[in-house]
Amino acid sequence: MKLKVASKILDANERIARDNRKIFSDAGVYVINLMSSPGAGKTSLLETTITALKNSLKVGVIEGDVAGTDDAIRIDRLGVPVVQINTGGACHLDANMIYEVLGDLPLSGLDILFIENVGNLVCPAEFKVGEDIKVMILSIAEGHDKPLKYPLMFQESAALIINKMDLKPYLEVDVEKIKRDALSLNPSIRIFELSCKSGEGVEQWTAWLQTLTS
Amino acid sequence: MHEVSIADSLLKIAVDECKKNGCRIILNVKVCIGKASGVMPEALLFAFDALKAETIAEGATLTIEEVPVAGHCSACNADFTAPESYVLCCPQCGSSAYTLHEGRELDIKELEVE
Repeated sequence: MKLKVASKILDANERIARDNRKIFSDAGVYVINLMSSPGAGKTSLLETTITALKNSLKVGVIEGDVAGTDDAIRIDRLGVPVVQINTGGACHLDANMIYEVLGDLPLSGLDILFIENVGNLVCPAEFKVGEDIKVMILSIAEGHDKPLKYPLMFQESAALIINKMDLKPYLEVDVEKIKRDALSLNPSIRIFELSCKSGEGVEQWTAWLQTLTS
Repeated sequence: MHEVSIADSLLKIAVDECKKNGCRIILNVKVCIGKASGVMPEALLFAFDALKAETIAEGATLTIEEVPVAGHCSACNADFTAPESYVLCCPQCGSSAYTLHEGRELDIKELEVE
């Protein structure tokens, strides 16, 4: 016997993501799902951002990694609420993993919550976790071919941070091509060129975050 | 690698639907996977076969229909399909005033059950 089914395969995840979304919006917290390859600078960007915003916004962080607590320890040093999720092998965070740790964060006391996804340019783009927006980081050391090799991540992101701009003199990388291809894939993507190390360009990024949460 | 999570969700839906309809075994599951969905059909097949053991879908096959990226250009009014998994501009006129309406599917369509 044949049964017609009209269902999205990720429907269960999307339902939980909607529940998370409701919890976040009731608590009045703006949520950013932060994605990149391993080593592009997600945790460094969070450290830089938290330091820049700590007098104006209350920030919280959920750290997602396959294993380890190194990132949570780095964030904890800055004195903001942080929860570490270890996926135990999974290459992305899903909505249920987020739901399970929500009780460990003082959500209603936060203005902005960053969810640092597992380092991976493919899988996290597919799974909603209840975020307001997705933001991705590409470090220029990864090369200018990445937008066309990993289009989905660029299409899903509301903003692209091009990080490690301080390395530009040492690399043969065409930053204009990264921007051009990212904008072709996603005409509404906001692009910020910055360096967490030198601090160059960070102000534009944090000013934009403040417009999102105001 | 997220194909494992996707195969897991797919099996849960299939098993629930099968039981809901009073059936006992699943023979085939048919899905539509968009070429821009980020899912590799080979990896999904591999994950499905690995996860179906000891479920009522143990003997089931997975049929994947790949859906190409398709869109409409409001500059030249053309409907188009793209050979790649992404589109950078309208393949007819080069404009960026296009919208995509197919290619991101991750849908379960039909089950064959007994």
